[in-house]
Amino acid sequence: MTNYLIALLLGVFFGLSLNKAGLTRYNKIVNVFRFTDLAVLKFMMTALVVAMSGLYALRGMGWITFPNIPATYIAGNLIGGLIFGVGMALTGF
Amino acid sequence: MNWLTKQFRKELWSPYAAGVLLGVIGVLAVWMSDSLLGASGAFENLAGMFGKALAPALFDNLYFNFIMPPGITWGVVLLLGVFFGGMFGAWSSNTLKLRFNDDAQWRTIFGAQNWKRWLAAFAGAIILEYGAGIAGGCTSGLAISGGMLLAPAAFIFIGAMFASGILTALLVYKKRF
Repeated sequence: MTNYLIALLLGVFFGLSLNKAGLTRYNKIVNVFRFTDLAVLKFMMTALVVAMSGLYALRGMGWITFPNIPATYIAGNLIGGLIFGVGMALTGF
Repeated sequence: MNWLTKQFRKELWSPYAAGVLLGVIGVLAVWMSDSLLGASGAFENLAGMFGKALAPALFDNLYFNFIMPPGITWGVVLLLGVFFGGMFGAWSSNTLKLRFNDDAQWRTIFGAQNWKRWLAAFAGAIILEYGAGIAGGCTSGLAISGGMLLAPAAFIFIGAMFASGILTALLVYKKRF
């Protein structure tokens, strides 16, 4: 139960960050692929850098253990990514 | 405090500020729940749940039995939170309203008809969800959550996603690119 409450709370802030970064808008998503607005990339990369440093620092201090790392299967990741990009540029969500 | 409230209520934050928030949430998700943020997986959990109830034989396969177990998972609850969080964000900047097709850029390029926007969103979302299923995650579940654990899969996915996204945008926009 507690775990679900945590999920709900984190989800609220996740949604908030997406909304405030403008990722809920068609033009923001599609314009990153047209190189006219790089907000999506800035948002993604900032999140990555912050989370990476945080996680590795916490693991270094022995406070957390990593969950299952998403599996790497090159063909699947690559083909999936290619299909995904088409959908993303079409919907803009 | 007033300054902070004013910054918070802005319609758009600096993408860097929003990115820091998401990064912190990503860390907290691992720390507090030992889970990764994700969005596309939740739809598959839900689809599996309904599918198993409506057409058990069709959904009795490897994918829905083992890879994406159906049910109300952590990710489904997270997604529910995302919905309310997005609403909260829009409410805080007084931009909360029911929108069907009011994106200025879409309207100038493809016209004002709602059905075009909906068709593109529906078809595109199917393609997107299939891609996410094959790759093992979406932008949040694989690119960000996998990337923050330095999973090679995430970086392959990001590269492929941008490559085909740019190509699709090029085809859709043609001279207006």
